[in-house]
Amino acid sequence: MAGEPRQPLPALLRRALDVPRQLLILLLKAYRKVFSPLYGDVCRYFPSCSAYALEAVTVHGALKGAGLAAWRVCRCHPWSHGGIDHVPPGRRIWPEGKTPKIMVMNHPPIPPDDDAADAARGA
Amino acid sequence: MGFFDTLLWPFRQVVSWILWAFHELFSRLGMDPHSGWTWTLSIIFLVLVIRTALIPVFVKQIKAQRAMQALQPDLRKLQAKYKGKRDQLSQQAMVAEQRELFKKHKTNPLSSCLPILIQMPFFFALFTVLNNTAIAKAAGEGIGALSPEHVRSFDDSSIFGARLSDTFLATIGSGSPSVSVIIVALIMIVAMTASQFITQKQIMSKNMTKEALEGPFMQQQKMMLYILPLVFGIGGINFPIGVLIYWTATNLWTLGQQFYVIRNNPTPGSQAEKELNERRAAKGLPPVGQKKAEAPVEGAPVIAEPKTQRQQPQRKNRRKK
Repeated sequence: MAGEPRQPLPALLRRALDVPRQLLILLLKAYRKVFSPLYGDVCRYFPSCSAYALEAVTVHGALKGAGLAAWRVCRCHPWSHGGIDHVPPGRRIWPEGKTPKIMVMNHPPIPPDDDAADAARGA
Repeated sequence: MGFFDTLLWPFRQVVSWILWAFHELFSRLGMDPHSGWTWTLSIIFLVLVIRTALIPVFVKQIKAQRAMQALQPDLRKLQAKYKGKRDQLSQQAMVAEQRELFKKHKTNPLSSCLPILIQMPFFFALFTVLNNTAIAKAAGEGIGALSPEHVRSFDDSSIFGARLSDTFLATIGSGSPSVSVIIVALIMIVAMTASQFITQKQIMSKNMTKEALEGPFMQQQKMMLYILPLVFGIGGINFPIGVLIYWTATNLWTLGQQFYVIRNNPTPGSQAEKELNERRAAKGLPPVGQKKAEAPVEGAPVIAEPKTQRQQPQRKNRRKK
């Protein structure tokens, strides 16, 4: 009974604590909308650094997400070979159908190669 | 002025110092410090030093181009796989697979562009050092490592009666055109554009794959082949003789470098590779890249025969014992 009036407070607090994350998400989305198209198809990695950052911040929060994103930017240099490099999974979960779009876009199902499928059928 | 000049400053220091050092060297060796020939030779040696230093960058560029070429069949397969799948998620999957492909071939879409970016500041610095002598002289300033006296000496020196700072356009418009400037400038412009044209022409006629020759970019390449020399030819009438010397020297280097690469390390699948393999065949060498595969096939029957001959008497001996 004593705990009940306190219930809304943690929710409000949680929302307040979420402000940095939401702010970063907004900034990243704006960057991706305005600046990313200017560069075109130049990234060594998939997802691109900005997509990686957006997912990292969305999944891991402002602090850890920013750290992960910074580390990713550092890994993209003239001597790296790039490739697929996903954000490590986090603890946040979303209800069915409410998964952030960036999560969907960064993890596309890769269809099997036709010749690989043929080989499997033959074997 | 500010930002661009600040970026170029270190490169200009390096370039002007090398120019100064060669000028000093040739003067000490007994050449006239104020002669246009001493400065011309210094420019040529400056070009030699810079271009030699940039050879590794050039090699890297060639390797990147080759890697991109080796990647093409896989890339086409990928495009075929995603043909007609225009939805966002499929496009993302295609991009992801593409990145993996680039990783597999240890290259990336920008890798053949990066070496050009590295070379740019050096060429800009060279150009601005040689192109700004007249302005610096008028202001009584030095350029980088060159003192105001050096700049004045450079600017006033001449070859065949044409000063290194003279331009074709300026002498035409001056009222009393100098015949030697016109002749020297025209010869240099022709040499500069011709060497550039030949460089591009030999790449296109010999060092491209059949696929590239029939590809969609060929028309643009053909246009560039004729437009670029035209642009430089027209630009050339506005360049000082000193810049024309540099440009001709660097173009001749490029020509030689390309000739060497096309002859000894041609693009796989090109006319030049076919010719190289014909030359190798005449010398009894296997085609490029087949050293190990080809050699045993030729050598095998020669080695096999004596073996069977040797084994037969051994077997008889063993049977007898």
